[in-house]
Amino acid sequence: MTPQMQAFLVWLLWVAVIGIVFGIAVRGSSSSSPPAPERVDRMRLLMLLVLLVLAGFGLGLTLPRAPYPTAAEVPDRVVFVMGKQFAFALSEDPITNEEEYEEAIAYGSGVEVRRGELIEFRVSSLDVNHGFSLYSPDHRLIAQVQAMPGYVNRLRTRFSEPGDYSILCLEYCGNSHHAMRGVVSVR
Amino acid sequence: MDAFLRLENPTEAQRAYRRWTLLWLTTAFVLFAVVGLLGLLMRLNQARWLSLPPELFYAILTLHGLGMVGTWFVAGMAVLGQILQRYVNPSLRASQIAYFGTLIAVLLLLTATLIGRLGVGWYFLYPLPFYPSGVWPLWASWVFLAFLTIAGLSWTIWVVDYLRAIASRYRLSEALAWPVLFRGRELDVPPVILIATVSLVAGLIGLLAAVVLLVLYYLEGLGTGLRNDALLMKNLTFFFGHVLVNITMYLGVAGVYALYPGLSGKPPLKTKRYVAAAWNVALLLVLLAYFHHLYMDFAQPLWFQRLGQIASYLSSIPAAVVTIVTVLALTYGARGAWTPSRLFLFLGTMGWAIGGMAAVIDSTILVNFRFHNTLWVPGHFHTYFLMGVVLMLLGFGFRFVHELSGHEEPPARSLGWLVALGGYGFLAMFFYGGVLSVPRRYAAYPDEVASGATLAQLATVFVLLLLTGLIIYAWHYVRLLRQAWSSG
Repeated sequence: MTPQMQAFLVWLLWVAVIGIVFGIAVRGSSSSSPPAPERVDRMRLLMLLVLLVLAGFGLGLTLPRAPYPTAAEVPDRVVFVMGKQFAFALSEDPITNEEEYEEAIAYGSGVEVRRGELIEFRVSSLDVNHGFSLYSPDHRLIAQVQAMPGYVNRLRTRFSEPGDYSILCLEYCGNSHHAMRGVVSVR
Repeated sequence: MDAFLRLENPTEAQRAYRRWTLLWLTTAFVLFAVVGLLGLLMRLNQARWLSLPPELFYAILTLHGLGMVGTWFVAGMAVLGQILQRYVNPSLRASQIAYFGTLIAVLLLLTATLIGRLGVGWYFLYPLPFYPSGVWPLWASWVFLAFLTIAGLSWTIWVVDYLRAIASRYRLSEALAWPVLFRGRELDVPPVILIATVSLVAGLIGLLAAVVLLVLYYLEGLGTGLRNDALLMKNLTFFFGHVLVNITMYLGVAGVYALYPGLSGKPPLKTKRYVAAAWNVALLLVLLAYFHHLYMDFAQPLWFQRLGQIASYLSSIPAAVVTIVTVLALTYGARGAWTPSRLFLFLGTMGWAIGGMAAVIDSTILVNFRFHNTLWVPGHFHTYFLMGVVLMLLGFGFRFVHELSGHEEPPARSLGWLVALGGYGFLAMFFYGGVLSVPRRYAAYPDEVASGATLAQLATVFVLLLLTGLIIYAWHYVRLLRQAWSSG
């Protein structure tokens, strides 16, 4: 099951709970007597405590697994990514200006890496904000980071399966935003 | 009929104010219809049933996003002004300035997008307005900045006037219910004053961030040599945008607090300690939660990212719990008739709960890594907007026009089903699009995410259901408009 589907199921569970609770209130609106204020206060407190516990649980479970790079891990390989309306240039050599961008893009918007290696993508932009995202061969979003002018964002990922991973732009960047793309070939 | 809005025996000034509320709401509903149909055009294009040039699609995207946010902000402010009138005296002049300012702003936005073809998205992320890639002329960027300036200025005047009106009767500590919160004292401050103060203070801070943002844009655009920092500009943009959208939600909630008890046959609500605590927490945390918009900017300091998730988790819980349980308690055993206004306020609260959780899920950094800028995002904000605050404000408008004209409300059943089925069906396609990793803001879908087109096709079918419900609503509203105006 993809992480996206897991998140969706959590939300659906919540929708079901909300649907049932609001449904009970509607059904009770015509036939029952109003609840005592003390009972409502207890319900309010209970709901608050349950949600706070769930929030604490969610924070404890997910915050330590945030996808930001740490000093503890050393990447096996560095790939430089530069965004510019409307193509990504990828290279194993740094891309810092228009000239280097044009040189890199002349080889196409792609790069080849090996399966299992920890790859660090150093992502930036020469013009506006772009979104550097990686889609698995079965078309699921597996990782992303913003490409921002003046900053380098470091995205680390390990490709477990060989194949062509599409790069799509995930930050609206202008008229051909939907056509801005590239590829990472994993061998 | 029962007058829950307490409109009886008005003074001449109150009658004038009501007419302006009616004008505001009617204008907002017309804008909603136009901008909503533009949204339908976008979905038809994504469904491959229409073939818009990309530059037109993205201009419409910009118009739709800014149009919707602006429309419901002003509708919420108009509703708040009408509610505040019971307790304090907001200035009619300030409301009029805001109205004409908004109209001018709308014209400027239409010019920049439909004539100039400016396509920068609602958030005009720096430095995109300066990089038109040959699509829009430079004048369109300047007209766009003028739109932001005029809308921002007129809304700031409006917000400041409401705060002035509240301050003329309540001290800030009273308006924020601190004596109740810290000393447990009984206080004659209704919850709507508390919610209004929280919303307006947060809104003013958000608008100040927008002022800084605009000044920086002007300084760079006027060729002073200043080159802005993209990360700072992004922080300012999302701080302002996040706060504005959230307080719009709160303005709708103020409508629920003001109207729902009466419609359910219950006395007005009092500001109890938990209400005071919940909304003060909301004020603090709503200002910090915006960091979740920048999770994918890894260059942002790590503690901001963590703070973003913590604040996002906690900011929504207290106010939502208090409001949701209150609405449920007011509903159970209430015996009040299910009129459209009551049903919309009820469904709006439910939409807040459902959309709010989808937002909380997306505010988890680990999840956002897979959902950021996919269709999950429009899924959650359309839920708490369309099925949340929009329903709340439509509910208020429906009651308002019926009370003013002295007519009983019609039964709600078919209207409620059409809106709920159409609305949630439309939204489900966004959410499932997020699960399938379909990007948002795409004029056309590449092969990897071609499923987005099928989802857009299904979404348009549900939109037609929703549209039918809204047309029924509009018919009931419009036929009473003249009478409501003259008896205003």
